[in-house]
Amino acid sequence: MNEVITNNPKKCDEALAALHHVIDPEIGLNIVDLGLLHQIDFDEGNKIVFVSMTLTTQFCPMGDSIRSNAGQAMQQAFPDYTIDIDLVFDPPWSSERISEQGQQFLSR
Amino acid sequence: MVVNTNNNLVQNTTHKVVIPFYVYAGLSFLAATVLLFLSDNAFTQHYFQPRTLAITHTMALGWGTMIILGASHQLVPVLIEAKLFSNALAYAAFVLAAIGIPLLVYSFFQFQFNGIAQAGAILINAAVVCFVLNLAASILKSKNKNVHAVFVFTASVWLLATTVIGLLLVFNFTKNILPKDSVRYLSLHAHIGLVGWFLLLVMGVGSRLIPMFLISKYDDAKTLWLIYFLVNGALISFIVLFFSAVDSVFYTVPLTAVSLALLLFANYCREAYKYRIRKQVDEQVKISLLSVAMMLLPVIFLVAMIALLLFSFANTKLVLAYGFSVFFGWLTAIILGMTFKTLPFIVWNKVYHNKAGLGKTPNPKDLFSESLFQKMGLAYLAGFGLFTAGILLGNTIVLQIASVLLFVTAALYNVNILKMLRHKPLIK
Repeated sequence: MNEVITNNPKKCDEALAALHHVIDPEIGLNIVDLGLLHQIDFDEGNKIVFVSMTLTTQFCPMGDSIRSNAGQAMQQAFPDYTIDIDLVFDPPWSSERISEQGQQFLSR
Repeated sequence: MVVNTNNNLVQNTTHKVVIPFYVYAGLSFLAATVLLFLSDNAFTQHYFQPRTLAITHTMALGWGTMIILGASHQLVPVLIEAKLFSNALAYAAFVLAAIGIPLLVYSFFQFQFNGIAQAGAILINAAVVCFVLNLAASILKSKNKNVHAVFVFTASVWLLATTVIGLLLVFNFTKNILPKDSVRYLSLHAHIGLVGWFLLLVMGVGSRLIPMFLISKYDDAKTLWLIYFLVNGALISFIVLFFSAVDSVFYTVPLTAVSLALLLFANYCREAYKYRIRKQVDEQVKISLLSVAMMLLPVIFLVAMIALLLFSFANTKLVLAYGFSVFFGWLTAIILGMTFKTLPFIVWNKVYHNKAGLGKTPNPKDLFSESLFQKMGLAYLAGFGLFTAGILLGNTIVLQIASVLLFVTAALYNVNILKMLRHKPLIK
């Protein structure tokens, strides 16, 4: 699994716990174990959380929904912060990014 | 507050473009099964007759081509990772084909190739031109011109070749514009359509979608290119042989090339299945994988036909079984499976795209009835198997029972489509 880059490991864990509830509706797996998250940084001065994430394809039909749900989950976890979500497709997602737990879930 | 600084998400083709094609195709499938029930006698006689032609074109154009055109407007942007060039051209393609197809089918049914048939053929050609132009412009604008996109574009060019020949054949029935009578060109028209359009397109799209739905690590562009050249080489050599009027034995060359391409494609799907991360395979993907195996059935009939022709013995039952196993066999099987892998997402986006985060939304697969889908699958397999047996045995009772089962298949398919389209949002 690819580690999520962060400048605040403690808060990043809280963020990942919140994002564990966001599910890709086609695959049925949460976006953390699916490996969609690249980076979560916290700007404490301006109270902004920057989330850099991807989708399984740039044309993912559920893309808008997954991004909005991630935003809502983060907003609930960090109500005093502005959540800034950045979708990136370089490097593209590959199945190598799926976590061990995710692989176990999919092999059931 | 949630903000999106970088919106790299490429917009999907609007559902308004795609859904009409799906609805039209579903109704055409239903109409074809009704015609099948009313025409059981047609399948115990020679294949060139009004009802067989009407059913073949309802299936080839109304069912197969319309759903593929609709799905292509949605899937090609996924394959090339760029937006569809024009929604207006897509609407035009739908309207022109939707009017043209019934005109042509009606003319076949009446066996009259007058102005109505000619108008139908012209409208269908105009629809295909709109589709090819839209596809070409979309691909030209895209940065990602991969093997799948090349398959789809080449298939669309072969579709245009098929419909242009069809147009010439329709006119040739009333005015002698071709050197020989239209019946002589039927195998040319049919095989460019079957191999160039349907087979190439199903292989191009299937080789991307099947691994995608299985979440498979398998990817082998070299094999896909080999398949591409084998299929196109087979088709070009078939056309050359057709106009050279050579002995039947030479047709084993294109037949061998297509058979090899089919085996390579079947192996490609098998490898994708073997290296899948997602172990649980849903019913829709299973029926799509089954259709890959069903591709081999028409080849068996074709080999038998050519083998008999070498001894100057033509068997019309084998010709009918061949055509039936193409349209009601692998083509229908892959459409039945893929409809319920693509349409739920299109409908889900239509209903829920602006409702994310407002509450728990259903999954796309919850928009249709899994139980109806399974019943449809069973009715289909039984109906297809029995009808093929009925053709080979020349038994009208078996044919009638089978056509009822295929009608049930089409009815259940349409009920499930309607259930999806009538879905109301579960959250406000």
